[in-house]
Amino acid sequence: MKLRRHDLHTLSGAYVLDAVDSAAEYDRYEHHLGRCQSCAGEVRELREVTTDLAMAATVQPPPALRPQVLAAVRRTRQLPPVIEDEPRRGRLWGWWPGLWSGWLPRLAVGCAAAGAAAVVVLAVILVGVQHRLDDAQSQNHAIAAVLAAPDARVVTRPTSAGGRATVVLSRAERELIVTTEGLPPLPRDKVYEAWLINPRQTRPAGLLPTATGGRTQPLLATGLARGDTLGLTVEPAGGSAQPTTRPIVLMPLST
Amino acid sequence: MEMLARCGKQNPGAGRPFGLRLRMVGMDPRDIHAAPGAQAAGQVAELDLNRLLALVARGDEAAFEAVYDRLAGAAYGLILKVLRDPAQSEEVAQEVLLEVWRTASRFDPAKGSAATWVMTIAHRRAVDRVRSVTATVARDQQAAPPPPALDEVADAVEANLTRERVRNCLGGLTELQRESITLAYYGGYSYPQVAKLLGAALSTIKTRIRDGLIRMRDCLGVSG
Repeated sequence: MKLRRHDLHTLSGAYVLDAVDSAAEYDRYEHHLGRCQSCAGEVRELREVTTDLAMAATVQPPPALRPQVLAAVRRTRQLPPVIEDEPRRGRLWGWWPGLWSGWLPRLAVGCAAAGAAAVVVLAVILVGVQHRLDDAQSQNHAIAAVLAAPDARVVTRPTSAGGRATVVLSRAERELIVTTEGLPPLPRDKVYEAWLINPRQTRPAGLLPTATGGRTQPLLATGLARGDTLGLTVEPAGGSAQPTTRPIVLMPLST
Repeated sequence: MEMLARCGKQNPGAGRPFGLRLRMVGMDPRDIHAAPGAQAAGQVAELDLNRLLALVARGDEAAFEAVYDRLAGAAYGLILKVLRDPAQSEEVAQEVLLEVWRTASRFDPAKGSAATWVMTIAHRRAVDRVRSVTATVARDQQAAPPPPALDEVADAVEANLTRERVRNCLGGLTELQRESITLAYYGGYSYPQVAKLLGAALSTIKTRIRDGLIRMRDCLGVSG
């Protein structure tokens, strides 16, 4: 079914009632909304109407619902807020429009002047960008996999240095995520390092990123084995091969 | 705290004097800069929904309970209208409310009110459920349950007022507008299904739904 522009405008009502069933039509309308300000305003207003329709349907919910929901809330981790200037798409092509409006045109002019050598430089830069995006994306995927694992478990412990460390682990994924809150900031030449410790060996599990607002970004560690304990130590910048100080926290990870 | 909320539910207004007393001793219940969780239940319950959701995004369970007490009845009622089966509706309502907790940090007040955000999630989940084949079979086998008594709801007065206003405004629409909107929203039908049910052209139903909602907007005095 071919939609004319006029037809797209009149879809706002069906759209706010969730009555647009065809995925193609839905996508086309959402695309249109991104470019049509008056449509977006209309959708916002009509959605408020549907809220009144919903409120008018209010009934007493079953008494069991409240304790069920609150219990579920207690064991459910929340999504972090979206940071606006994060790359919206991990793939290189998603970045092209942004690049074109920024430094790329200038760089392209330079390329034309400098010839083939500069083109190679550009290619190298872009490959680097692609790698960083791929890394960020695969890290995000891996973190999401741990959080979504059916056997995901959370362990939290206070540390002897203050603050606390939290680990989310999945035995099935053999991975874990480490975050901390309220750990004392370290001088430039020191870093917090995570370890996976068991009676046979102690393996480095990664360096905690620098904290922002008292919290560290999640650190993903792989190769979780049965009987592992997670430890955190303070190490010289760059990390160590084996712990050189006494752990500030030890978290047994077996059930 | 749970006890207190329960009392409030059975006896509308019972929570009010508590909130009032707190205000009289000079504490500002609207101060959201206080540490999450540090507020008394009465204080949290007085915050507007947008602020409550901001607290929920930071993991404040008391704020979530207040959101629950204000919106669970509408979310459950809407889902029940669409699905008709109380057991399924309870299940979907639980999913929706948990989704509110989980994704509270994604709520953007610039895009609409907190109630709208929650009801949008609720309606989408209900419609998703109704459009899956198994659910349709289950729904067809269920008789419509009698609606629970509204006067047990905490905000019964407010809900009744909204219901009255909505009924009035729906009454001001043409029959085709009204039927299209109620079949799509409360019935969970897609607009091509509505067109088929009403024996009208697709484009007609599409425009009637839009015209009807615009007329509702003007009647209800909704401002964007």
